[in-house]
Amino acid sequence: MARPRPADRPRTFQDLIFALQRYWAGRGCVLVQPYDMEVGAGTFHTATFLRAVGPEPWSAAYVQPSRRPTDGRYGDNPFRLQRYYQFQVAIKPSPPDFVDLYLGSLAALGLDPLTHDVRLVEDNWESPTLGAWGLGWEIWLNGMEISQFTYFQQVGGLDCRPVMGEITYGLERLAMYLQDVESVFDVVWTDGPLGRTTYGDVYHQNEVEQSAYNFEHADVAELLLEFEAHERECARLLVIPLALPAYERMLEASHAFNLLDARRAISVTERQRYILRVRTLARGVAQAYYRSREVLGFPLLQRLVPGVDPPLPGRGAATGARLA
Amino acid sequence: MSVRDLLVEIGCEELPPKSLAALSRAFADQLAASLAGAGIRHGRVERFATPRRLAVLVRRVAERQLDEELSRRGPPLGAAFGPGGEPTRAATAFAESCGTTVAALGRVREAKGEFLHYTGVRPGAATLTLLEGLVRGALDRLPVAKRMRWGSGSAEFVRPVHWVVLLFGHEVVPGRIVGVATGNRTHGHRFMSRGDIALRSPGSYAARLERRGFVVADFARRSERVRAGVVALAAEHGAEAIVGDLLLDEVTALVEWPVPIAGRFESRFLDLPREVLVATLQHHQRCFPVEGADGKLVPLFIAVANIDSRAPAEVQAGNERVVRARLSDAAFFWDQDRRETLAARRERLRSVTFQAQLGSYFAKSERVARLALALAPLTGADDSACVRAAELAKCDLLTGLVGEFPELQGTMGGYYARADGEPEAVAAAIAEQYLPRFAGDALPAGPVGTALALADKLDTIAGIFAIGQKPSGTKDPFALRRATLGVLRITLERRLELDLPALTALALQAAGADIDAAEAARPAGAPPPPPRPDAATVAAEIYDYVFERLRAHYLEGNGDVTVEMFDAVLDRRPSSPLDFDARLRALREFLSMPDAAALAGANKRIANILRKSADAVAPCLDTGLLTLPEERALAAALAAVAPGVESRLAGRDYVAALGALATLRPAVDAFFDHVMVMAEDPAVRANRLHLLARLQRLFLEVADLSRLPG
Repeated sequence: MARPRPADRPRTFQDLIFALQRYWAGRGCVLVQPYDMEVGAGTFHTATFLRAVGPEPWSAAYVQPSRRPTDGRYGDNPFRLQRYYQFQVAIKPSPPDFVDLYLGSLAALGLDPLTHDVRLVEDNWESPTLGAWGLGWEIWLNGMEISQFTYFQQVGGLDCRPVMGEITYGLERLAMYLQDVESVFDVVWTDGPLGRTTYGDVYHQNEVEQSAYNFEHADVAELLLEFEAHERECARLLVIPLALPAYERMLEASHAFNLLDARRAISVTERQRYILRVRTLARGVAQAYYRSREVLGFPLLQRLVPGVDPPLPGRGAATGARLA
Repeated sequence: MSVRDLLVEIGCEELPPKSLAALSRAFADQLAASLAGAGIRHGRVERFATPRRLAVLVRRVAERQLDEELSRRGPPLGAAFGPGGEPTRAATAFAESCGTTVAALGRVREAKGEFLHYTGVRPGAATLTLLEGLVRGALDRLPVAKRMRWGSGSAEFVRPVHWVVLLFGHEVVPGRIVGVATGNRTHGHRFMSRGDIALRSPGSYAARLERRGFVVADFARRSERVRAGVVALAAEHGAEAIVGDLLLDEVTALVEWPVPIAGRFESRFLDLPREVLVATLQHHQRCFPVEGADGKLVPLFIAVANIDSRAPAEVQAGNERVVRARLSDAAFFWDQDRRETLAARRERLRSVTFQAQLGSYFAKSERVARLALALAPLTGADDSACVRAAELAKCDLLTGLVGEFPELQGTMGGYYARADGEPEAVAAAIAEQYLPRFAGDALPAGPVGTALALADKLDTIAGIFAIGQKPSGTKDPFALRRATLGVLRITLERRLELDLPALTALALQAAGADIDAAEAARPAGAPPPPPRPDAATVAAEIYDYVFERLRAHYLEGNGDVTVEMFDAVLDRRPSSPLDFDARLRALREFLSMPDAAALAGANKRIANILRKSADAVAPCLDTGLLTLPEERALAAALAAVAPGVESRLAGRDYVAALGALATLRPAVDAFFDHVMVMAEDPAVRANRLHLLARLQRLFLEVADLSRLPG
């Protein structure tokens, strides 16, 4: 492989995002926009979770604001946030040179692999709520985890055939490293003709207030009702079936659960049962989505990719995800 | 016969470091087994393993399989030829199946008659044609916990495979393995090597990879390079690196071209408990901690990079940055955690589940407290300290640091108890409760810690058995094997007379009550737990399980305990492992005595006789019925040694008891030489049987000698 020359380091948070977007757009990814609902990670975007289901090829890259209410620290901790950004890449089938493509993206961020110690350290991924698991690594840059790299094996209880490859960059961490700052709030977001704006300028107050909401003020009784309501609604939509609206109800139930967890309103035993309930919804959605694509004849299988053979007739039915 | 070297290399994306060494061993073993199974002779097997490759080099592999001698029996002559002597269909079919003609077949005479017979030689195939299948077979048999798929292929392996080298001498063995075409091109270091590297012969593999590819392929050699490099770098700083085997293996499995790099952290972090620093560096960052001549940690660590960096200072700065962030986090938790006492956290253990059916950690701590109290007299511990330690033992599960470093549970509890002003005995016991954590680990030192460690393990064993989840095969989610070995080591090495059935009963009673309580509180709609075995069955299962572990413990020892010896003692079902051990030692000593074999033989004979006529034994000895001098002599000798044997048994001096019993050998031998036990007269017979039964009983007080060879 011809090794790309390291580019200049992105100076600001938004330059970092631009660089990653430009890089992955150049590799053929659809630059979709963030999912407009509360999610815990980039994986929950339909561009990853649902596109991992079934035989159709797919490739996308996007920024995803992600919420983990329990990680809030009222803006006091220099690296922990209850809302942060992931940059997500999802390509199916995972290309043979996926690792090299990823390493190319580091070069695009000015990180020379002959200078920095870049390592792939085993870290297998499992999401109990999504009924999903995969094998892969965390990527270390001089001992610091900067990305997660996963080959999905199952999603929503369905075997992934073909396999989707997923890369998740922790944008804040990467930016802190690139800008050599000790606190996420000191990360420069932009520095232009209208002045310099930091991550703290944009989000510090949000961390303080949302932490207070997550830990102290979220209405537990109301959230419990919401969870039940979203669960019921999801199940109802799955009967129709309307996979995508059902999925959004599942996301809402999942977020309600995360808030309840932050409020410590759920005992450990109950926790398991809630996780199981969300997983049941996720499985139902994955199966409904698979069927809906099947009814449409898996349209993306018909699309020709330059340099890649056209799919054989009937390939989708023969090699597609098998219902577990 | 001509031979060639064989090289197989599977080039992968980064393999899991913790299983790399085991995978590599298994691959080499399986490949050797495949070759042997196919009748292909070979020489030395060398193995190589790095994050991106598993390789095996087999020296002097035969170019052909061994010829196979064939010998097949055909139909009987009666069925092989018709009345006119012409071959039947059966005969021609047999000949065809042997690839020959009826005329060329031989005859063989056996007990059942004469048969057609074929002898021949199947010439071995060329090894080259078999290798692809043999390598595939070896790969299929690797012990991989989770195989994965990638892309749109159907190949499965530990991680995606990119290239396969299959070289037999100078020749590439054509084929496809794990979805990849075989070839003679390998790849070097991910970053430092340029382009692929053609291999001309298997033997030059490692040298070529190292020179051209910046890869030290040999695991052991690379491990030594890591160790030596780390030690030398620490020495440059006037200090000594702590190089544990586990971390050394893991680091070796993470690099192809190891380059140690020293980093610093602020001295203020040295105020953290040593275990926290070590856990941060070792477990989270895979770095080696460093200590000074005084054995105290110094603010230094050694990371091992996988690259000869163009700017090592950048690698150093990056690692320091991460270590600093991690240690700040740990320091934050360490400060936070000490703001609330362990005692104040205890109530919250009610919402932390130990196991769904066995209830919360709060419930567990109550059960452990009761058991620890029962064990206090045994270990010489103070009652109230035992109860206090047990009550606080699990509270550190709710602290921030244990949340970040689960491996420090117990250890942190000890620190926090001390900070809370708990008595030293209580704090030390909390820190020691999980000992021994692994084979060869230290045992709890203090009496309270010993009682707590035993109580915690016995409660877990009893509880998990009570809900029918005893370990099976490789499934042991509650680590009962380790817990059981811990109980055994503590009682044997600390010489504690642990009454296993009594304590098991106590533990089962407490666990049973909590299981009932959990069942009563089961939320509507939750699935009911599986049915539970009754307490007596569980107690027997636990006894058997514990003593089976003890058996493994002895049999893995230096070989001076045999299965027969173990069973001879187990037959007596001693209630304490220590008593078991004393009997076993006495038996070992007894067996080294010249009379042992004869007495074991006599015991076997007695056991056989009594088994056949158990109901015909006289209830008591009638000296008037003793007619022959040899039976009178045995009765007298028995009467003479019995009181001494019994008093020694009472004092558990099994060596002396067996020694005294050994003096009976001449009397026993003479008895069997001259006395006919199964006499005509039923009364005489019953009397003689009684004599033997008494003799047997005395031996049985120590062990069942009839189980020994003799």
